[in-house]
Order: sequence, then C-alpha cells, then structure tokens
Amino acid sequence: MPSFLPQYPLEPNPLLLFGFLLLAGVIGGEVVQRVLAVPRIVGYVVIGLLLGAGGLNVLDARLTREAWIFVELALGLLLFELGRRLDFTWLKRDAWLAATGVLESALTFWLLFFVLTLFDVSPLYAAVASAIGIATSPAVVMVVAQELRAEGQVTERALNLTAMNSVISFVVVTMLLAGVHHEYRADWGTVVLHPLYLLLGSALLGLLASVLVVGFARWLGKSGREHFVMTLSMIVVTIGAARLFELSVVLALLSFGVLSRNLDRRHDLMPFDPGRLGQMFVVVLFVVSGASLRVEDLVAGGTLAVVFVLTRFVAKSLGVMSFTRFSGVRPGTAGMLCLALTPMSALAISMVRGTTELYPEFGTKLGAIVLSAVLILELLGPIAVDFALRRAGEAVAGQKPSV
Amino acid sequence: MSSSELEFSSSAGATMGVELELQLLNSRDYNLARDAADLLGLLGKTGHPGAVKPEITESMVELNSSVHTSHESLVRELQVLRDAVADAAEQLNLRISGGGSHAFHDWSDRRIFPTERFQQLLKVYGYLAKQFTIFGQHVHVGCPDGDAAIYLTHMFSRYVPHFIALSASSPFQQGSDTSYQSSRLNTVSAFPLSGQIPFVQTWREFTDYFERMRSLGIVESMKDFYWDIRPKPEYGTVEVRVFDTPLTVERAALLGAYVQTLARYMLTERPRTPSRDVYEFYRYNRFQACRYGLEGSLIDAYTERRLSLQEDILATLQIIAPHATAIGAEAALQELAAGVEEGYSDAGWLRQVYGERKSFNDVARLQSELWMGRTKVHA
Repeated sequence: MPSFLPQYPLEPNPLLLFGFLLLAGVIGGEVVQRVLAVPRIVGYVVIGLLLGAGGLNVLDARLTREAWIFVELALGLLLFELGRRLDFTWLKRDAWLAATGVLESALTFWLLFFVLTLFDVSPLYAAVASAIGIATSPAVVMVVAQELRAEGQVTERALNLTAMNSVISFVVVTMLLAGVHHEYRADWGTVVLHPLYLLLGSALLGLLASVLVVGFARWLGKSGREHFVMTLSMIVVTIGAARLFELSVVLALLSFGVLSRNLDRRHDLMPFDPGRLGQMFVVVLFVVSGASLRVEDLVAGGTLAVVFVLTRFVAKSLGVMSFTRFSGVRPGTAGMLCLALTPMSALAISMVRGTTELYPEFGTKLGAIVLSAVLILELLGPIAVDFALRRAGEAVAGQKPSV
Repeated sequence: MSSSELEFSSSAGATMGVELELQLLNSRDYNLARDAADLLGLLGKTGHPGAVKPEITESMVELNSSVHTSHESLVRELQVLRDAVADAAEQLNLRISGGGSHAFHDWSDRRIFPTERFQQLLKVYGYLAKQFTIFGQHVHVGCPDGDAAIYLTHMFSRYVPHFIALSASSPFQQGSDTSYQSSRLNTVSAFPLSGQIPFVQTWREFTDYFERMRSLGIVESMKDFYWDIRPKPEYGTVEVRVFDTPLTVERAALLGAYVQTLARYMLTERPRTPSRDVYEFYRYNRFQACRYGLEGSLIDAYTERRLSLQEDILATLQIIAPHATAIGAEAALQELAAGVEEGYSDAGWLRQVYGERKSFNDVARLQSELWMGRTKVHA
C-alpha cells in the first residue's frame, strides 16, 4: 500500500465522532418524532441506545467515553443557564418555594433510602443512589421548556426547583463520597479532604469565573455579540479548568451561573442565550447519554428500577403538594410541577461515572441500581415535562405537537 | 344590546377615576411575561382597593381606581394599589412596569388573554390585536348629563396634544428608537374605528348616530369605538384615552388632576363653543405631539395661530388655576407645570436611561423598578 493512503484500521477522530453523533441524532430524532409523536429528545436517546454498546455497538464503550467530553460541554452550558435562573431574591419573597425545594429533596432522599434498603440494597449504595435520585434532570426540563418556548409559573418554578435539587443532590452525593472512601479503606485524609476539595474547589472556581465574567462584561460595555462570545468562552474555560483540577464540572458551572447573576449587582452582564448553538450540543448530549445506557440492564434490574422510579415520583409529589399551594399559585400548578420534576438524565449518569472513576467496582454496582431507572426516565421524563407544560397552558399556542 | 346602554347616568361634577394598563415583565431579561392570569388569581386572594382586570394579551393587566373628588385621595389610593400589585408580582417573580410601550418585545410572541371578547378581537383584527400590546392610561371625568358629555368631548379635542405630550412614554418599539415621544398612538390609529367622535351637538344626535352604526353592523357596543375621547354613558363620564401609561402612579394622578380641573373649567365657564375647525387640524396637531412631545407645535383652531405646545400647556395651567384651587388640585398642577417648564417627559427619561446603559433590558428593568417604587427618581 502506498504510504499516502490511510492505514487500516481507520482511526476515527473527534471531529468525525462529533459530526456523526449530531447527524445521527438529528435524523433519528426526526424519525422517532414523526413515527411516535413524542418530544425529539426522546428520539435522540433512542438513537443513542441503538448505536450504543447495548445496541449495534457502533458507539462502543471507548468511543462513548471519548464522546463524554461533549456531554460535559453541553451539560456545562445548560447548568450555567440553569444557575442563572436560580433567583435568591425570589426565594426570599416566596419562602414557600424555597421550603418546597428543601422538603421534596429531603423526602426523595429518605423515602428512596428506606425503600431501597427494604429491597436489600446495602446502606451505602442505597444512600448514594438516593442522593443521585434527588436531582431532576436540568437538561430535560430546560430543553423541553425552550423548545416549547414555555413561560409561566409552572415553567419558572420547575426550573428553580430543579436548580435547587441539583445542588442539594450534588452536595449530598459528594459528602457520601467520604463513606465510599471509608468503605474502600482510603486513608483518613482522603475520606475528609476529597469531598471538601470537590465542594469548595468547584464553588471557588465558579466564583472566580463569575467575578471574571462580570469584570469583562463591564469592560466590554453593552454589546450583545461580544458578551455572547465572552460568556461562552468563560463557560468552556471553566469546564476545562474543572477537569484540569479534578473538580466537578457540575458544581463549578452551576455556581458560575448562580453567582454570575446574584453577584452582578450593577447588571453588567447581558442575558446569555446560547440559542441554536446550544441546541446542537443538546442533540449530542442526549445521543451520548443514550449510548451509555444499556437495555439489558433494564431486564436485569427491572423491578428495582420501577420501584426506584415510582418511589421517587411519590416522594417528590408529596413534597411539592404539601407546600406549593401556600405560594398563592393557581390550583393545578402543583400537580403539573410534580410531573415536571420527574426526569433523570445526563446529570445522574455523570454522578455515577464520578464514582466509577474512583472505584470501578462500586460504580458498577451503583450503576446497576440507578442507570436502569435513568433509562426509564430518559424516555418518559421528556414526555412528562412536555405534557405538564402544555397542560399548564405555558407552551406557545399554535405550536405543533411535541418539540 | 338594549338601548339602556345609551342612557347617560348622571355623575357629580368634577369627579374622576383612572385606568392604567401595565406591563408584566419577567425578572430574567425583563421581556414581557405571560402570567396575567396567575397574578390576577393571587390578587383575588389579597385585599386591595379599586380593581385589577385582564387586558387583551396575557402580558398586560389593568388597574382601576375608584371614583375620586380630589387628587390627594386618588394618589393615595393608586399608591396602595400599586404596592399590592407589586408585592403580588414579586411573589410570582414578576415585575410590573409603566410606560406606553415595551422597549423590545416581539409582538408575534404575544398571546391573547383567553376570554371570548379578546379572542373575538383577534379573529376580527388579526395581527393588529397582538400589536395592541401597548399601554395607555384612561381618565374618566364625571358629567351631569349626555349633552354636557358631548360638549366636553369636543372641548377636550383641542387639548389632545397636551395629553399626549404630558404622558408620552413610548419612544421605543420592538428594540428600536422610533424617534417619536409617543409611538403608541400610531398603533391605535391602525384600527378602523379609531379616531374621533362625529361632530354631533347633543346626546340625542349622538344616540341616533350610534343606532345607525349598530343597525349597519359596524359596532355592537360603545366599546367598539377606539376613539381618543369618548363618552361613557353607563359611568356618566367622558373618557380621555390618548395618554400613554406614565412611568409612575404619581404622574398618572397628576394627569388625572389636570383632566379633572380642565373639565371643571369647561363645564362651569363654558369658555367656547365646539368648532368643526378643531377637527380640521386635529390629526396634524396629534402628530406633532406624538412626534415631538412638548417641543412640538399646535395650530389653535380658534385663533388660527401656530403655538408652542409647551407654552400653550403652561398658559392653560394658568387659566384653570382658580378651578384647581377650588378642588384641591393646586399643588398637583404646580408640580405638573414645573415639569413642563424644565421640559421633562417620561420618554426623555427612558431615552436618557438607554443612553447611559446602552441596553433595552436595562431600560425595562429600571422602568419596572421606578414603577414599583423600588427606586426614587421622578414623579
């Protein structure tokens, strides 16, 4: 063979991978949406499942791992936006909303923990799985809301509750890391310091990024295009820095979002809307998260997964139903909120992956409990949010069925 | 529709009431929100004076004051009402704002409030109904009878440029500076039943006209006329509708006091007789006020001279001063005059904010903080 020809086996490069994922997602999403009339993101997940290790194995475990960086980028973007939605002044004005967030998170953790131990899951696994269960998928809620151009009390409250339970979930999971380290006989320094390093380090990174972004924004003056590029680059740099320092992308970007809004007293930073660029990453996000799940896990852990999903729904609904009416919203809002908080997706997968990187054996067992539930909710969650926002009358009228 | 709709209920002279159409904003980027129904639901549970009602799109609410005889009681009630609405809005993470237009919303995003009347308007007027997301103040003044109401309507027509210039607060539309002080009225003019009352002289003539229009199926009720000034028989009032909603309730009350005092002057002194000539120059004068505000000029139909709008307002305030004293509106009109002398307008304030901040989001935010009483800037 002449040396200028490509050598066999052909080595896929990241660009080819990214483009392929996008293309597969867009085409697959459209097909699934036309055939089943469900939100497109369900289609992306289905394509991921089909291409992934559990399906045709086009995206094998190694490629999925490589593609995970795109998930982190997409998730980072979404978490930044979600963080900017979390409004402390609102939580002060409507204390019942804050109370709802705390109550539904606490109930979800304890009820899941109780039920999982009933099913003979050992306490440490049950605790970490329950902590992961606290979080609603920010990606699903945000993407469905954006695609429906939904606006209103259900949408705004669902997003704020999602931001709250994502933070709480992440903090609890990180604290439980101490238990996992202890289980694997790590030294006391690691047991204590690793969770602290993750929490404080990531929060500090978020703080640094928001101080910088607000400073740059002031210096640039009010120019939409410059603010957009600058904010986007700060997001990417922050994601990269979080990886560099072995910190949490999730917490760093959430705190970046929250602080960049709540510390920007003079409103120097203009509203950030990733628009179509964001949609592109969303496609890849859902295809890859679909590819990292396997249908056969569902067969193995099916009962437990169903129990997990139902318990979580009951716990969240109890929390939401108890307090929401005191916020003075219209009757029916609470019910729609319960549905809107059901999704689990890439955030949960990424938390499982976090433990797998530390202790592969622990991560695999944890995955068996959590990931089959995630699989169910990857498919049902978007449909639930879509239904809730439409039913609440918050989707833009005249929109065709589903996203 | 029964003919009782056209029976003019008599009101005590020189009473007034105010309606304010307000903007509902989100607190994220200060674009228009769509939560009118939730806000009205929450306000229904809390006690407040006056009334709060839905308007044509879900991004608007309307505040109604009660009937007042003095500026002082009006402003006090409006402040209480404003605080109630502002508190309820904040509980839902919304903001409320004055001003005749929203600086950067996209009219095609608007949704019509789901009542039969508003849906019907969408069906008849198409996109105009959504573009009607503009915000006006209506001032009602009491009249003893229908003939007086017709007289007052014609008399007020000469002063329409005053009302426009004093309230102008819609310099921006759809993310651009329109170069107008009040761009809102251009939107109103697109409606086929906008304009002015025909040149009738008595209530009898007016009801004949109305019946003719109704029998031809052009209108169903008085509500279908989008006139700048129209009699409101069931309230026993004349309603001035050309005001942009000012940036504060305090300024809204000042405008109320001006209309009230002017009405008292007209109805007690009857200084002039209605003139068809007023309508000859009407649209030109109205344009001048919309475009240039206080710096515009006005053709006076009675003298056929070109006057400076600013000077004409100041002169009018002098003439009606004794009536202001009689109804306790002296201080209010002095405050109004001071603003006119220094050339103040809400539109100017908005342009100044945009000049400083270079962002329409910031304009909308500061506008809402001003209306909600969270910052003290200008009455």
